[in-house]
Amino acid sequence: MAPPEEESSGLKETMDSDPDTRPISTIVIIIAMRTEALPLVNKFQLKEDLNPVFPIGVPWVRYCGTYKDLNISIIWPGKDANLGVDSVGTISASLVTYASVLALQPDLIINAGTAGGFKVKGASIGDIFLASDVAFHDRRIPIPVFDLYGVGLREAFPTPNLLKTLNLKVGKLSTGDSLDTSTQDEASINSNDATIKDMEGAAVAYVADLLKVPAIFVKAVSDIVDGDKPTGMEFLQNLLAVTAALDQAVMEVVNFINGRCLSEL
Amino acid sequence: MAPPEGPEELMASQSDKRPISTIVIIIAMQTEALPLVNKFQLKEDQDSVFPTGVPWVRYRGTYRDLNINIIWPGKDTALGVDSVGTVSASLVTYASIQALQPDLVINAGTAGGFKAKGAAVGDIFLASEVAFHDRRIPIPILDLYGVGLRQAFSTPDLLKRLGLKVGKLSTGDSLDMSPQDEASIIANDATIKDMEGAAVAYVADLLKVPAIFVKAITDIVDGDKPTAEEFLQNLAAVTVALDQAVTQVIDFITGKCLSDL
Repeated sequence: MAPPEEESSGLKETMDSDPDTRPISTIVIIIAMRTEALPLVNKFQLKEDLNPVFPIGVPWVRYCGTYKDLNISIIWPGKDANLGVDSVGTISASLVTYASVLALQPDLIINAGTAGGFKVKGASIGDIFLASDVAFHDRRIPIPVFDLYGVGLREAFPTPNLLKTLNLKVGKLSTGDSLDTSTQDEASINSNDATIKDMEGAAVAYVADLLKVPAIFVKAVSDIVDGDKPTGMEFLQNLLAVTAALDQAVMEVVNFINGRCLSEL
Repeated sequence: MAPPEGPEELMASQSDKRPISTIVIIIAMQTEALPLVNKFQLKEDQDSVFPTGVPWVRYRGTYRDLNINIIWPGKDTALGVDSVGTVSASLVTYASIQALQPDLVINAGTAGGFKAKGAAVGDIFLASEVAFHDRRIPIPILDLYGVGLRQAFSTPDLLKRLGLKVGKLSTGDSLDMSPQDEASIIANDATIKDMEGAAVAYVADLLKVPAIFVKAITDIVDGDKPTAEEFLQNLAAVTVALDQAVTQVIDFITGKCLSDL
């Protein structure tokens, strides 16, 4: 018969190895644009990982370090090797999410970035949203069941306490690879009942689901899609200021996460 | 004094001059893949090179002098349909190249064709170049990034010997075609339209592996019939033609090096 102390420590070990009850230890934050990423890298005092966990030749960058009780990695897909612009969009996002999860085995993925908002759904410039659900709006496959696959609707990992404590706005996120919004895109976005629109979220969600890692989506509104100004212009004008707001929000999210386990979020 | 060929150059020129040994064939749909799997007598890899939980399937075997791998992204775990489209295609291309280090990637599958550009149902095309038509980012340079235009690996002898048609391939995640898609496809000067090519090309370029694209026409985009209907009607028959074409491509490749193609 095992002595009482050993028994209880055995139980404790079991509890601690259950990711739902041990504190979150490693988080991966996927950020598509360097302008969005660098202020956070500085705030968390992360360093660029010179021993890359990614294959030679890919432009993906990992910034990592410890912050309070967390191992934080900010993953930026880098500048396109041919064209020198940020590797935005669903393909890059899915690849870096995949590679990061395999290399770093995070407890939680956070996809953070800017997004367009719909004023008719209550969004304004500078708002910070936590996505309740994510879906694609530019993958139309009009064959039964394939249509659902194309939309790829997924729920974000539920974080009721985070939401309550930080008082973030909540809305559905719709993802597509275009910065503009065609009539078909708009129809799909309406079907998705989305309040915010980005270029990576649903792709990160797809990979996170594939590899069974919880994921949440923190988006700062940089332009009003159903407003008067052309998207490209409004987005560029507001990018810096809104990035500061995003930065602060992610910091608060990470501070909340610190010391908590998944089930406490 | 540095030798005339450093180790990198030596390796590169060696890979161009030694016969192709390992190929990876990316095929999005099970209906398209299985006839080829059977023809090459490949077996499903039970010791998966892919992470636990992903639906991706590797069929492998040797055929003449080649290690052949057919990679199918599998059925979506939630919905049970083939994992078509650019996200799955890019993931399996990435994972396969990392695991298998192929000399050449072949993306094979069905596609829509434009009769105005000379395409007919049953045609087999080798893509000269690939681009996206549904990634519109109207900011200078980001627009080019969205289009993601890339050349297929150049295979003049293959083309001549097999008498395949040549055309530009345009990729998007929708089976249908909006007016914006159409405008972009026309800007891409495409003859054929699929849902994976440009994504495979992106990853192959990222990891510096040559890639070619073999597409069989199942539906005429600028024709009278609705795409989904025409595609489903022709899928089985056109897959037979695709199967045959890919076999001829493999037979041509056997024993050759990249620069012989």
